Amino acid sequence: MTSVIGKSVKRTDTLGKVTGGAVYAGDVVLPGMLHGKTKRATVAHARIESIDVGKALALPGVKAILTHADVPRVLHYGSPHPRSASVTQDQYILDTKVRYYGEGVAAVAATSEEIAELACELIEVAYEPLPAVLTVEDALKPGAPSIHDVGPGGNLVLDPFVITRGDPEKGFAEADLIVEGEYGMGRPTPAYMEPNVCVCQWDPLGKLTIWTSTQSPFMVRGTLAEVLGLPLNKVRVLVDHMGGGFGAKQDLFQHEFLCALLAQRTRRPVRMEFTRKETFLGGRTRHPGTVWIRQGFRRDGTITAREARVVFNSGAYGSHGPGVTAVGTAALTSLYRCENVRLEGRCVYTNTPIAGAFRGYGVVQTYYALDILMDEAAETLGMDPAALKLLNAVREGDIAPSNHPITGHGLEDCIRRGIEETGWAARGSRPPAKQTGRLRRGWGMGCEMHGSSAYPGIKEQGNAVVRMNEDGSVTLMTGTTGLGTGAHTALAQITAEELGVKFEDVAVVHGDTDVVPWDIGAFASHTTFMAGRACQMAAAQVKAKVLARAADRLEVSAADLDIRDSVITVKGVPGMSMTVRDAIAAEKGIPAPQLLGEGSYHPTKSYSFAAHFVEVEVDTETGQVSVLQVVPVHEIGKIIHPIAAAGQIEGGIQQGIGHTLSEDFVVDQRDGRPLNASFVDYKMPLAMDMPPIRTIILETAPSDGGPFGAKGVGEDPIIAIGPAIANAIYDAIGVRFRHYPITPEQILAALADKDEAQAA
Amino acid sequence: MTTATVPVTITINGEPRELGVAPSRTLLDVLRNEAGLTGTKKGCDVGDCGACTVLLDDVPVNSCLVLAVEANGRRVTTIEGIAPDPDRLHPLQENFMALGASQCGFCTPGIIVMAKALLDRNPNPTEEEIRFGLAGNICRCTGYTKIVEAIQVTARQMAADAGKPA
Repeated sequence: MTSVIGKSVKRTDTLGKVTGGAVYAGDVVLPGMLHGKTKRATVAHARIESIDVGKALALPGVKAILTHADVPRVLHYGSPHPRSASVTQDQYILDTKVRYYGEGVAAVAATSEEIAELACELIEVAYEPLPAVLTVEDALKPGAPSIHDVGPGGNLVLDPFVITRGDPEKGFAEADLIVEGEYGMGRPTPAYMEPNVCVCQWDPLGKLTIWTSTQSPFMVRGTLAEVLGLPLNKVRVLVDHMGGGFGAKQDLFQHEFLCALLAQRTRRPVRMEFTRKETFLGGRTRHPGTVWIRQGFRRDGTITAREARVVFNSGAYGSHGPGVTAVGTAALTSLYRCENVRLEGRCVYTNTPIAGAFRGYGVVQTYYALDILMDEAAETLGMDPAALKLLNAVREGDIAPSNHPITGHGLEDCIRRGIEETGWAARGSRPPAKQTGRLRRGWGMGCEMHGSSAYPGIKEQGNAVVRMNEDGSVTLMTGTTGLGTGAHTALAQITAEELGVKFEDVAVVHGDTDVVPWDIGAFASHTTFMAGRACQMAAAQVKAKVLARAADRLEVSAADLDIRDSVITVKGVPGMSMTVRDAIAAEKGIPAPQLLGEGSYHPTKSYSFAAHFVEVEVDTETGQVSVLQVVPVHEIGKIIHPIAAAGQIEGGIQQGIGHTLSEDFVVDQRDGRPLNASFVDYKMPLAMDMPPIRTIILETAPSDGGPFGAKGVGEDPIIAIGPAIANAIYDAIGVRFRHYPITPEQILAALADKDEAQAA
Repeated sequence: MTTATVPVTITINGEPRELGVAPSRTLLDVLRNEAGLTGTKKGCDVGDCGACTVLLDDVPVNSCLVLAVEANGRRVTTIEGIAPDPDRLHPLQENFMALGASQCGFCTPGIIVMAKALLDRNPNPTEEEIRFGLAGNICRCTGYTKIVEAIQVTARQMAADAGKPA
C-alpha cells in the first residue's frame, strides 16, 4: 500500500457541497418552528430607561418577547475558552446598558420572520444617552466615560501585557542605527459567507438541543450550560457543515442565548438567523490599532534591540482581546531574532463593534508593522530587504514567542526558496523612486511565523476515538468542526495511515456533542496538528488490539506483524498473511471484544513559517493597486493533503490582499453608527481582483508533536501578504505607507505630496 | 397577520411544482422553505453575494432578487438539478471536488450554477472571461484560484467529450 499521507484524496465533505445536499444549521426545519429576531440598539452608548413591548406583543403571530428583565443576569465570557486567562467576563445576555450601535436589547419569537421583524420595530426603547467613546485616544483620556464596571478600569480590557527579554538599554546602546515607526491598522471583518444562524429546541425532560454555526461546539455547550444553569448533559450542540468562521465563530453570540430562551418560553423550536447587515453589526472584527516599534541594528544588519507598544481597540466587549493582545505582542519577540526586547500590549474598550478572534490573531497587525520597519531599515542600511530578513531570520534553538525552542530552519528555507523562485536579485530597476510613467511596478516581500495550537496560552487538548467495526471498516469520532478547511479528511488520512487501512475505509463522525469526544474548537491552526495526533494515538491502540488477536491466530509474536491495506503480514515470512476482517472475526461464535482506541494529546508547541513575495502595479492616475502575482512559500512540516493545504494558503492571501488594499469596517466618528455594513460597501477582493498565486510548500522542519511531522497552516497565509504588498508599493512608487488599508485616494494624495516636495 | 397567497406553477429541476406563495416572497425563500431545496444559499438576501444563484429559463439570476410570482410558468434550475441524472454528477461538480474548489461550500452551489450558465453560453472561455463571469459571486475561502482551475478543466473535458464519437 502506498501512503495516503501527502495525497489529495477526495475530501469527505465536498460531495454534499457540490450537490446542495450538505446540511448547514440554517437548513434545519422543525415542526412548529418559530422565527426569532433581535431588536438592535440605534445608539452607541446609553442606559436603557425603559422598554415598552405592548404594541409588539399585540401583533398577531408574536409568541414571546424577551428584554433584560426576562433573562438570567449572569456575567459570562463572550469567548469561552476554559482553562485560559485569555478571555474577559464582561457580557450579559441582555444588559440594561448599550455599549455599541447594533447591540441586542430585546428579542422576539413569532410565527414568521416578517412578523418578528415588524414586532422588533414596534418595541419602544427609551434611552438615556451616554457620551460615546469611539476612539482609543478618547477612551484612554483621564476622566473618559467608563464603558464597563469590570476589568482594571480606565477602559482597559486587561492590565498591560508586558514582556522583557535580555537588556534592551544595552542593546540600543550597541546599535549603529535605530529605526522607529508607528503603524496603524483598520478594521477588517471575517465576512464569512454564512450569516450566523441557530435553531433551538427543548425536549420534555428539559434538555436543550441547538443547531448552530460555530467553530467551537463544546464551548457553546459549556457556556450555555453555565449561563442557563444546566448540567452539560442537558445541552446538545449540533453542527454538521458550516459556512466559514475564520476565528470569529468561536464566540458565543447574543442570539444563541436568546434563541434558547425563546424556545424555552414558547415551548416550540425557534430559529434565529442574522441578516448580512447583522453579521456586520453583531459579528466580530479584527482588532484595529496602532503598533509603535523601535529597533536597533549593527552596521552589518544584525538586530541589537527591539521595543514595541501595541494598542488594540477591542470595541464594546473583551471577547478575544486579551488573547489577541498577548499573542500579537508576544509575536514581536521573534520572527527576526533579537535577544533584547521590551514589549507592551494594551487592549482598550470603545463604543464600537466587537473585535474578536480572526485568522492571524493579533499577529497580522504586529508583523505588518515589523516587516515594513525591516524594509525601512534595509534601505537606510543600504541592504536588500530580503537579505536583511534572512540574516536575522529565527532559526533552530531560538526561543519562540511561546518560550519553546524553535525546531529547524523553516523561515530561512522559505526566504531562500522565494528569492530563487522569483529571481528576486534581478527583479528590476532600483532605486524604485526613479520610475516614471503612469503604471509603475514593484516587488515586495514579507515573512511570518505562527504557532500550531494556542498552547501554552490555552491549555489545549486534542481528542479522538477510533473504533473498528466487525467488517474491518473504521469509524473515527472527532469533536473538531468542519470549518471548510478539509481537516476531517486529513484526520481520516492520518487514522487510515496509522492503522493500515484504506482511506476509504474510514468514516468520520463529528458535529454532535452528545456523541463525539470533547474538543476545544477548530481554530489556532491546530486541528490537523493536535486532533490529528490524537487520531494517530487512538488508531495505534486499535491497531495493537487487532495485531494481538492476529498474533494469537497466526501463533506468532505481535511485534512481527504489520497491517497494510487491511492485510496483516508477518515480517520475514512472505506468504503468511491474514486479512484484518479474519483477524477480528468471531471465534467459536463469540464476537471480538470492542476494538476501540482513544487518544488525548496535549500539544507541544510548533511553529510554521512563510515568506510571501509579491509584485504589484500602481496606476498613478487612479491610485489603484493591482496585485500582479504572489509567490507564497510556506514551511509546514509535513503535507497531509496538498490541495487542501494550498487552498488554505490561497484563501488567506485573498483575505490579506483585502485587508491591505480595501477592507475597512468604518463607524461614523460622530455617533458610532457603522457606515458600510454590506458587501457592496465593504469591498473584498473578488475573482477579477485575484492574481495568479504560485504556492510552494516546504517540509524542511517537521514537528515532533504533529502527526507524521505535520504543523498547522490555517493562520499563516494571511499574515505575510500585507507587509509584502506595502513594501511592493514602496518599490513601485517610492512612497512608504505605515497603515492598512492603503486606498487609491491615499496613494494619489501621497504622490501629489511627493511631486510637490520634489518641485520645491 | 395573514397574507393571501397566489397559486403559481414553477418547473423546478424539471418537475412542475404547484405552490401557493405570498406576492412578497422571493424565489430564494420559496425554493428553500416551500420547495425544500436548501442547496441554494442565502448569503446576503440583497443581491450582493451570488450564493443564491439559480437559472431562470437558463439565465442565471440572484434568486433573492426575483419574486416567486415572477417565476410562474417558468423553469428554474438549482444546484440540486445540475447533475444530468441521479447517478452521475455534472463535470463541474466532479472537478470542484477533485480540484479543491469548494472549502466551506456556502458559495459553491451559486458558483457551480453560474459556471454552468457560463459554459453553456461560452464552452471555451478564457481565464479572463471566467473571472468576469464570477464577478457577482463572492467566495471568501479559496482565493478563486482552484475555482477558476476547475472551470477551465471542465471546459477542456467537455470539449474533448463533445469531439468523441457517441
